[in-house]
Amino acid sequence: MILLIILLIPFITGLSLAFFRNGKTVRTIALISTLVNLVLTLTLPTTVPASTYSAEWINFMGIPFSLGYDGISLVMVLLTNLLFPFIVMAGFGRDQKNVPMLNCLILCAQAALIGVFLAQNAFLFYVFWELALIPVYFILLVWGGDDRKAITLKFFIYTLAGSLFLLFGIIYLYQLTPGTHTTDFAAFNQLHIPAGTQNWLFWILFVAFAIKMPVFPFHTWQPPTYKMASTQGVMILAGVMTKMGIYGALRFLFPVVPLGVLYWQNLVIILSLTGVIYASVIAYKHTNLKTMIAYSSMAHISLMAAAMFVLNAYAYQGLIFQVLSHGVTIAALFYVACLVKEQTGTTEMPQLGGLKNYAPNMAILFLIILLGSIALPLTAGFVGEFLMITGLFQQSIWFALFGGLTMILGAIYMLYAYQRVMLGDKKAAFVKANDIRALDYWILIPLIVVILGLGIYPQPIFDLLKPIAEVFSGLAP
Amino acid sequence: MSALIFTIVLGIIVLYLGFTKNKAILSPVAVAGLGVSLILSIKDWGLGSRYFHDMILLDNFSIAFNISMIIITILIFLFGVDYYETMDFHVAEHYALMLFALTGAFLMTSFSNLIMLFLGIEILSIPLYVLAGGKKYSYRSNEASFKYFMMGSFATAIFLFGIALVYGASATFYLPEIKTYIAQFNGHLPPMLMVGLLFILIGVAFKVAAAPFHFWSPDVYEGAPTLVTAFMATVVKTAGFAAFYRLLGMGLLPLPAQLEKALWVMTWLTLLIGNLGALKQTNFKRLLAYSSISHSGFIMLAMLSQHNSSASVILYYTFVYSLATVPLFIIFILMKRASDGHEDLIIFRGLYKEKPWIAVLAIVLLMSLAGIPPTSGFMAKYQVFVLSISQGILLTTIFAIVMAIIGVYYYFYVIREIFTDREQSNSIVLSKLNAALIIFCGIAVMAMGIFMWRLPI
Repeated sequence: MILLIILLIPFITGLSLAFFRNGKTVRTIALISTLVNLVLTLTLPTTVPASTYSAEWINFMGIPFSLGYDGISLVMVLLTNLLFPFIVMAGFGRDQKNVPMLNCLILCAQAALIGVFLAQNAFLFYVFWELALIPVYFILLVWGGDDRKAITLKFFIYTLAGSLFLLFGIIYLYQLTPGTHTTDFAAFNQLHIPAGTQNWLFWILFVAFAIKMPVFPFHTWQPPTYKMASTQGVMILAGVMTKMGIYGALRFLFPVVPLGVLYWQNLVIILSLTGVIYASVIAYKHTNLKTMIAYSSMAHISLMAAAMFVLNAYAYQGLIFQVLSHGVTIAALFYVACLVKEQTGTTEMPQLGGLKNYAPNMAILFLIILLGSIALPLTAGFVGEFLMITGLFQQSIWFALFGGLTMILGAIYMLYAYQRVMLGDKKAAFVKANDIRALDYWILIPLIVVILGLGIYPQPIFDLLKPIAEVFSGLAP
Repeated sequence: MSALIFTIVLGIIVLYLGFTKNKAILSPVAVAGLGVSLILSIKDWGLGSRYFHDMILLDNFSIAFNISMIIITILIFLFGVDYYETMDFHVAEHYALMLFALTGAFLMTSFSNLIMLFLGIEILSIPLYVLAGGKKYSYRSNEASFKYFMMGSFATAIFLFGIALVYGASATFYLPEIKTYIAQFNGHLPPMLMVGLLFILIGVAFKVAAAPFHFWSPDVYEGAPTLVTAFMATVVKTAGFAAFYRLLGMGLLPLPAQLEKALWVMTWLTLLIGNLGALKQTNFKRLLAYSSISHSGFIMLAMLSQHNSSASVILYYTFVYSLATVPLFIIFILMKRASDGHEDLIIFRGLYKEKPWIAVLAIVLLMSLAGIPPTSGFMAKYQVFVLSISQGILLTTIFAIVMAIIGVYYYFYVIREIFTDREQSNSIVLSKLNAALIIFCGIAVMAMGIFMWRLPI
């Protein structure tokens, strides 16, 4: 029952917000609703048996409305509910058009994302998966930056294309289930599909997730979308929505088509590591701060994709841990990038520089978050990436070598970007640039606390993940 | 049967009410009358009555389709209140002709004899030829009427020729007898029968605008008065597919290999032409025409899957498609009025700014047509794909999925326009009845997606 409440709070609050007029009230209500949701999530029992909720829905198609969770879902829901209060807060005190509708869409996106992570039925999962896309599409379309129309349409069709193949896969699995067919994950996991079928079914299912993450070469929608998205839009996209891809892959690929995973394992790892190098090099060469962060996000996600496919316990624990830490870090990074844009009117790095002189506190916070992103020890990023690279090392030393480049190249492009944005001589154009407001501290400091806290004491998350990681690593031959 | 007779009488009554020169009473009478037809239809549920030496078999299949068509016609008539208020020509004929066409549609869902099917198609078509030319002084409308008439009568002739050939071979018009006759050949049909069946299928395919017999539909949809277009895109399509399915299910399945191949090619072409054709359209009515062609493709996929729940999936699909299409045409009319009679897609600009709630509903309707969850359009496509994949039709399903992705582009193109601001505009006038109906349709489209149903037919 509590799962249903967690799902419905943002949804109902969101819909009712659309009827309000006053922007300030709307934001306050949205913030309260997300905070309540966060508190409820923290009270969820972490022990087995987890609480579940199930109701009849479409009986003749074997589709119940069933919610439940395990360690992975819990981390995902935690990440979602942790980030959304900050995403709502990012709107405070800013001049936005049609605030009620914006917050309505943000909360609907939150509800749909929670639904994705809690669904225990593939059809329900798919409905929420698509439902999450729609509010984000409109947030980008209405509140986005330059050239938003063409970019959002590309983004939408690109991701939807992947999803429709996933739908094909779900229906294919549905009609393989015995008796009166069903789309429950539990039934899918019981299937024994011939190896030949698994080999092609793997790609049908994987494409949707690969686009969402994104894995090279399915990434082309991502940098322009991140660049033009509004602060809140990009925080949802980069912070939570990319994790949908990882979650989906863990839910669908490994239990359902394990032979397909083994068959394509090395190819996907190589593709992902190519993505790491490719995205890192572009991030170094790129001159726009937001696009640079977008590529850096892609590099980290690619490492996560590679770690996902090495099938051992270290990599899994590192992966799920990194989901949490990357989500928090990237949201904070993009928030800072948007602050830079607000103060200077641009994110083109050649025009920036010397911002430290006018906004010293912003520079310090930016540096801390940035160090978290390049996986400095004592930050959350270090724990996750260290474990993932350990996992890759057990598969092959070469994988570990190229995977490790994420950190090295990350340090290079991130510090180079920092140098170009914050350091340097005073620039006359930025005389009017202010330091960050009190409200920004309320967003950035808690996020930094999470980044450092998880880096110093990561054990609670690992306790949560232990049973799952053992199950997944059991798949390896 | 009583519903059919009542509807004809109702048509005549409405026609004579036109003499009173009082437009205001037409729509209430027609709607109330259709309400009675609806009740009469529901009362026949489960009886399976036969009439005219078994030429008409009123089983649950036909009643379900009849009910869905009556509901959509009621919807169109209710929208007509506002639409015809501004027209200065005689509108009683419009109501009457649509009612007559509806009776033809009733015959098309309940025939079990080819002659009855022919009568149904003709009774449906002839009022439509007239209705398409409803705007007497518009070149477009005249063109539409003439084109539809020419091509329609040509298709009818081919269809009739097909019936004659089948009769020549099998000496019967009754579908069950034709079925037993075909069965004895074990798939190797004599040429005369084969050609006859092909011609019959062509005649029906013309009515549902399946490629390559779709050429009339964009032009006719564009030229006809918008409410008539809405009628053609929904009720006529539903009737066409009911007839198509009944023809196959009652008489021709399992199809001989060559004919089945022909129908598959038709499905591929319909999906391809419908979606690719829609991409470059700038006129909204033409866009919906191509969209309707592409939906025909999906319905054909369900039909050719030959699953025992195909009929109910087709019913669900056509009903939710109609429920989304009719209000879109109405929103189009409102936007057209607000922009001096232009029909381009750009007339949708400024809708969100001026009437945000109507814009939200328009988006829901467009998403339903595009097949985005949780709207009923998605559930309809999901059911179609479930049928086809469970019958092992994998490649065509993948092709249909690719086409559905293309479809998203042009529906979302319209959504994009809704969010674009307009430079200068007349205000959008929306009557209370229309607003209520659009809201009703939008909510119904959502609700039927969340609570998917399946009738045992």
